[in-house]
Amino acid sequence: MNVQVDHHDKVLVARVEGRVDSSNSQDFERQLQGAIGEDVQAVVVDLGQLAYISSAGLRVVLLVAKTLGQRNVSISLCALSDPVQSVFEISGFNRIIQIYDTQADALAAAG
Amino acid sequence: MGDRDNPDYKILVVDDEPDLERLVRQRMRRHIRRGKYGFEFAGNGVEALEVLTEKKDIDIVLSDINMPRMDGLTLLQQIPEVNSDLRSVIVSAYGDMENIRTAMNRGAFDFVTKPIDFTDLEVTIERTLRHLDEWRAALASRDKLVAIQNELDVATKIQQSILPDKFPHVDGCEVYGCMHAARNVGGDFFDVINLDAGRIGLAVADVSDKGVPAALFMMSSRTLLKGAAVGVEDPGAVLREVNDLLNETNDAAMFVTVFYGVYDPSTRLLTFSNGGHNPPLVVHPDGSSEELELTGGLALGAIPGFEYGQASVRLSPGDLVVFFTDGVTEAINVANEEFGLESLQGLFGDGRTPTAREAAEMILQAVQDFAGEAPQFDDLTCMTLRVADE
Repeated sequence: MNVQVDHHDKVLVARVEGRVDSSNSQDFERQLQGAIGEDVQAVVVDLGQLAYISSAGLRVVLLVAKTLGQRNVSISLCALSDPVQSVFEISGFNRIIQIYDTQADALAAAG
Repeated sequence: MGDRDNPDYKILVVDDEPDLERLVRQRMRRHIRRGKYGFEFAGNGVEALEVLTEKKDIDIVLSDINMPRMDGLTLLQQIPEVNSDLRSVIVSAYGDMENIRTAMNRGAFDFVTKPIDFTDLEVTIERTLRHLDEWRAALASRDKLVAIQNELDVATKIQQSILPDKFPHVDGCEVYGCMHAARNVGGDFFDVINLDAGRIGLAVADVSDKGVPAALFMMSSRTLLKGAAVGVEDPGAVLREVNDLLNETNDAAMFVTVFYGVYDPSTRLLTFSNGGHNPPLVVHPDGSSEELELTGGLALGAIPGFEYGQASVRLSPGDLVVFFTDGVTEAINVANEEFGLESLQGLFGDGRTPTAREAAEMILQAVQDFAGEAPQFDDLTCMTLRVADE
């Protein structure tokens, strides 16, 4: 699991690669929280290279979304692979977190 | 740091040479003054054992070999009976390999040779004390680990004891459930709740993350669910109530996926609400199967005020409903392949549908056979509802 970060003006794009499960979810939380600076206005999490996410990983996404929500910073996800999309649909998290097909769509909405 | 009356370490010097005490006190005076070392003296092995019996806080015994009444090699054999938390250093004649070897075999930690070189002795004492400190720290950690392990074992028993092990005998159906926790304490649970008019509440749930925090969250989720289930009619309303209660105090953003259904054996109607859980499988007598629909739900604990939908399905005689957690379908084998839904569906062929218990045990066995030696990180839970044959 690895988190790469790009800045597009005030929008932060975090690309997550590999697998997130209960063995590395704390590391995932540290990397994601650590990447989000004070002056960020929106966060786009690109899951295009994420092969698997367990419920422990979903908890981190939820925690970050809640933290950002309190600061009025928007968060969206994009480019989910089919298995990851299915995890979000079954858990119902697609109903509380905005999901876009591509990073470009997510950036257009965030910008 | 210690002081003169209360030194950091105590060393017992055993030697029949009366001048040695004066020499040690003189050469070690700086350490004695600073309270680093304190010294006790004994003239032979018998006296040494008397000192060790009286004073339990000796850290090092520095002993000569040839002494009247009891020699140093005999003393070495006797020390563990009096105090096992110290280290012995032997003073031997230069080149006396036979006695040195015997002393080491009898548990001496190190040796110095005569005439005593006090610089060398200090290095030896320091090394011995470092070893002793590490040994004591390791013992303390081990004791703590044992204590934690004992508490985890109790937690495991408490968790297992809240899972149903007696299942209701109801005309027209049977129910069974079992769980294997991947660690000491798990985040999965299932429950079978007797409701009015012969109806049965059936719940299977999986808490995000594992270990002790998940186990605590699991315990409160299970209690809240049971409370709501006996007081509220509709499964969707039950999940809404539990979700709102879980959201009142949940800073860690933990959540629990819950499938909750109410089965009425008189109508064979299963009414259910799915709170973000993987959908149960309905297996028909001909071996075909399909997943129950999602009801537009959300994992419980995520956000307050969520409205949970519900749906109903009328089961047929001989149908089997398999409720499970994703530990079943996402179990990994040594080749890193997932067990998957298709393997689960493939367990049922044409012919007689197994009983509830047979089905649940067959599924867990199949998953464990598939996983083989591969380590499993998720709990395995399987609950089954078998509609009686016509």
